[in-house]
Amino acid sequence: MATWTWFHRLGSPPHVYAFARRWTPWFGGGAALCMLIALYGGLVLAPPDYQQKDAFRMVYVHAPSAWLSLMIYTSMAVAAAVGLIWRMKVAHAVAAACAPVGAWFTVAALGTGMLWGKPMWGAYWVWDPRLTSELVLLFLYLGYMGLRSGIDDPGKADKASAMLAIVGVVNVPIIKYSVTWWNSLHQTATVMQMGKPKMDGAMLWPLLLMFVAFALYFAAVLLIRLRAELLRRERNASWVREVLA
Amino acid sequence: MSEFLSMGGYGRYLWPAFILGFGIVVLNLVMALTSLSDAKRDAKRRLETQS
Repeated sequence: MATWTWFHRLGSPPHVYAFARRWTPWFGGGAALCMLIALYGGLVLAPPDYQQKDAFRMVYVHAPSAWLSLMIYTSMAVAAAVGLIWRMKVAHAVAAACAPVGAWFTVAALGTGMLWGKPMWGAYWVWDPRLTSELVLLFLYLGYMGLRSGIDDPGKADKASAMLAIVGVVNVPIIKYSVTWWNSLHQTATVMQMGKPKMDGAMLWPLLLMFVAFALYFAAVLLIRLRAELLRRERNASWVREVLA
Repeated sequence: MSEFLSMGGYGRYLWPAFILGFGIVVLNLVMALTSLSDAKRDAKRRLETQS
């Protein structure tokens, strides 16, 4: 019973708007604090790698960006599916709010990866399975946003873009397992693997903290974008007048 | 300090990567806040014309 009450509240725009306003500073503050500590840990305290030397420190910006690009796409697809199945407008608003953030972090993952690839592989870009599938992810995000903006009717835009988001989620495991399924220049999983991570503890804790920082940051930015999305969608609702008074 | 900045000779790849990554972190926050303030302004304007 309590679960259903909670689920119904999630579908209520004024409730979600109030929740987003209350929690954004906490997520944002937590993200900033974790990011600063993780940066100090990664750039100053962690020792150089025995093979990659100081170039390995690229992991503290590249891996969290790449992880976020996948995590945001999965969140977007889940929200889109919830929106389609339960006809929940808030869920479609969440999916729409995810897309631009996810697209930017895919750009960050690709760009930082290129800057890591040059000194390690001797090339900024190779048509490697991991790099190519991550580039496809960027096109999926751009396609999702393009489709939304190309349809004037918000209800139709929600449905059409939700279908694209759900179909495109097949690319997420392809990106994740591309380094195991095919011969890839890209290194295999270092942290996200079964059993013990391959990294030493002194290098690992700043990376794990940076993952937490990026997750909290995404929550804060998503909630800000969600508030904007709800205001645009619910502009004729009475609660908007009360909120802006 | 210069030793820290050179990062064993990898500084010219490392620092642009950090600037790009954390630049996107800042940019996304600014874009989200701008989007919210635009939505608030539009909603207020609409409410004023209605009343």
